[in-house]
Amino acid sequence: MEYLSTDKILVIDLNAGQVEEDELDESLVEEKIGGIGITRYLYDKYRQDDPIVIGTGLLTGTTYPASASGQITAKSPVTGKVCHCPVIYKLGVEIKYSGYDYIVVKGRSESPVYLWIHDGVADISDAADIWGKNVWEATDELRTFVGDDLLQTMMIGPAGENGSDYAQVCFNHWSSPDRFGFGKLFGAKNLKGLAFRGMGLIEIAEPEDYVEQSLEILKQVKENDFIQKKGLAQILSALGEEDVVEWIQPVTHRHSADYFTPYATNTYLFLDEESGLLEESKKEEPGVLVSDIYALLGFKKAGLSAVDAGRALKACAKYGIDPFAVTQLSGKTTLDEIKDCFDSIKGEIEIPGKGLFTPWCPTGPIFNDFDLAGEDETLAWWERRQAVSMIFGIQPLFSLMCPELTEENMLELASLGTDLELTQEILDAVIDDILG
Amino acid sequence: MGIKINALKCTNCMACEMVCSYHRDDGFAFLSACIVSYRAKEKKDYFGMMLKEEDVLVVARPEGLEINKIGEEADPDKEADASAKPMLLREGCDLCEDMDDYGPMCVAFCPVDAITLD
Ligand code: SF4
Ligand code: SF4
Repeated sequence: MEYLSTDKILVIDLNAGQVEEDELDESLVEEKIGGIGITRYLYDKYRQDDPIVIGTGLLTGTTYPASASGQITAKSPVTGKVCHCPVIYKLGVEIKYSGYDYIVVKGRSESPVYLWIHDGVADISDAADIWGKNVWEATDELRTFVGDDLLQTMMIGPAGENGSDYAQVCFNHWSSPDRFGFGKLFGAKNLKGLAFRGMGLIEIAEPEDYVEQSLEILKQVKENDFIQKKGLAQILSALGEEDVVEWIQPVTHRHSADYFTPYATNTYLFLDEESGLLEESKKEEPGVLVSDIYALLGFKKAGLSAVDAGRALKACAKYGIDPFAVTQLSGKTTLDEIKDCFDSIKGEIEIPGKGLFTPWCPTGPIFNDFDLAGEDETLAWWERRQAVSMIFGIQPLFSLMCPELTEENMLELASLGTDLELTQEILDAVIDDILG
Repeated sequence: MGIKINALKCTNCMACEMVCSYHRDDGFAFLSACIVSYRAKEKKDYFGMMLKEEDVLVVARPEGLEINKIGEEADPDKEADASAKPMLLREGCDLCEDMDDYGPMCVAFCPVDAITLD
């Protein structure tokens, strides 16, 4: 596969300690397009090895607005279903530029390992020095070891090592959309995590048209009122939780966006620092980056102050546990109790619809109404929108805001980018396959 | 004429970095960008932009602009982060003079208008 692709699938066998590379056949892209279309295909191909399949969308890391995300497809140890978790922040892009479109991790290692994937090279590395460390320590240690602070990681903490049901795979230092207990799966495979770094180059079949069309779409996106807003509190406010805005404001530092995403979906809370500080903080760990709107809301509803909610979120991110599961299943209402309860989280959280996509995303539109009527239509729209976002690699919260990102223009850009004829019929078939 | 960056408006999305590199490489990459978002201090939420012009490196920090003459600034550790070092080897901003349909790509693509033409 020549365009919008690294042309490479990595297959890592943890049992044998071996790394193999396959080419990404153009015919597979013609049939499954990309993202979860292909991670699901690869999951089925290697099903007997209980694989974790990591991938990127066909448009990930390009100039298409919000082309930020990657995907993890695996069987949830909590629900028993094959689920798809979006990879957010700058990590999805780093995966593609590190040299692989898809990574299959199969089997189980005898001893703890991590995978170091950089510039088209992949190593299975001994994780003895980082096993037992929390997510922050492990990420910092790998960055120091490699000598690159821009190393992007997927990492588990003690929760995943201890086999907690709601162990989360975290991204760099931060919580992720993983509500499926994928952290437990990593732990069961003796896989501490993955580290990515890459400076690759992605070719485009029709570069000028691709970039021109991207800008046309971006101009339409910028007509939205939400372009004046930033951060999590505004999203929650639009979803009817207006109180969050005032509650969180005193500890809000800045808002940041995932790669090429026109809305800043991440909010940084300063917990041990003046929130108005502009200079670099002298404290090593002054706060926490939050992307999980429902975990934030859950801690508020439990009666925590904004500072304590931030501290609870930080503790969850270090321990590598889903903070939303903590809010829903622990019944705890003070910070100390919350920090003490991580190993005892049990129970079920509801995964909407067919149970394939994460309720980290609101199950309806944000800021715009998308002309939807009724709960059933909204849920069906949501599942389709999630599937489409994760086929093409679109930031999943942003795709719920932005009607200008259409299936039609994603297909148009995918065709311009690859020189393949990718049609609505193909996309419909891929979605049907995913939704079952 | 030059590029003006409002670091406080910037959301660290890297769109400018991608399109700047594209205008030199004709592919998607981050290799040749002369404008980059520095983001290595994520635990402190400290981010801003760096722009390499012909003779100067402009560091747009949240607290204000810093302009370093290239050659006189010997200690790259003093820069916002390690990205400063490779940037010194890259070509300086040419205001995308070859991109007739767009003008400066970073200005056109910044989703929050944090970059303007001065
Ligand atoms: S004007 Fe062009 S060359 Fe200069 S920083 Fe922006 S994109 Fe790069
Ligand atoms: S495109 Fe704009 S918002 Fe994004 S990193 Fe560049 S200056 Fe910041």
